[in-house]
Amino acid sequence: MICEQIDPGQWRLSFNQPEAEFLINVLARLGRHYQEDVSRMPPALRAYWEGAISRGGGTGKTDLTESQEVLAEARAELRGERLALVENWLREYELSEEREPWRVEITTAERDEFVAMLNDRRMLIAAELGVTEQDMEADLSRMTNEARRAGILEIDVLGHFILVMLGPQIYRP
Amino acid sequence: MDQVESVRDIHGNRNKVLRLRSGPVATGKENLSPRCAQDDGILNGDASGHSSAAKPGTETSPDVDVEEKLKEAFARGWSIIVWNDPVNLMDYVVFVFKTVLKMNEQDASRHMWEVHQKGKSVVGRETREKSELIVHRLRSFGLNATMEQA
Repeated sequence: MICEQIDPGQWRLSFNQPEAEFLINVLARLGRHYQEDVSRMPPALRAYWEGAISRGGGTGKTDLTESQEVLAEARAELRGERLALVENWLREYELSEEREPWRVEITTAERDEFVAMLNDRRMLIAAELGVTEQDMEADLSRMTNEARRAGILEIDVLGHFILVMLGPQIYRP
Repeated sequence: MDQVESVRDIHGNRNKVLRLRSGPVATGKENLSPRCAQDDGILNGDASGHSSAAKPGTETSPDVDVEEKLKEAFARGWSIIVWNDPVNLMDYVVFVFKTVLKMNEQDASRHMWEVHQKGKSVVGRETREKSELIVHRLRSFGLNATMEQA
């Protein structure tokens, strides 16, 4: 995958065929996930979309029910927005005549949204599998649980895509 | 031509997304950046949060002034906390802090390291409504954020 800035605020992403197919597969899964009813999701995934707005660590005793509802509504809307975005990416791929490499031109805002969406997939896999710090540092070749190994590999590959799009971000004096 | 058309498709839908994204945090000067840049007091446990003084040139009676200060102190009584998780990449967290909280690279990196090493970081202090919005924005990028009453 290559990410080039072609103009201020404008980016070109290029994917070779395996990368494009991987990405399309990820997006298709995400699309299906965004359409699922949150109340029917496993608890870990439900927690990702609903989650507690507070851990109750502060001193206040304010009732946060309303804030929790506001967040839940906003999260529901977000899934709808991301579904529309996924559909656009899939349509873009469907319509493309040239797929080796597959090129897409997007704005910075679109890139940021795309990155957040790919990160959704990473977080959802992690929530579903209960991925820990040890898992992320483990030697995948020695991991015997195939589903876990595949999940962590996908998290890693998507992480690589994200880093390619963002470039280095950490301040190093 | 197909390429251009399809790119335009994405642009069209992007606008819809951007409309939702252009809340006060993303666009206004009232975002967290100035506070984040000077929130060492909060990070060091000084949760008073009322660093504001009377605006120069404004003529208010001492009573009103104190009342205003108190009002602001109570209004901004919500800390926004980002918690550590095993999956989000360090560079990605810095990117989110820069994008959502409008932090500069140095502050964003400092908060990211704090999350990584201490398990959490207070990235801002705001009113309840604004905290809700910021928590949502941070979560929309996959960060584990909560708001706690100070």
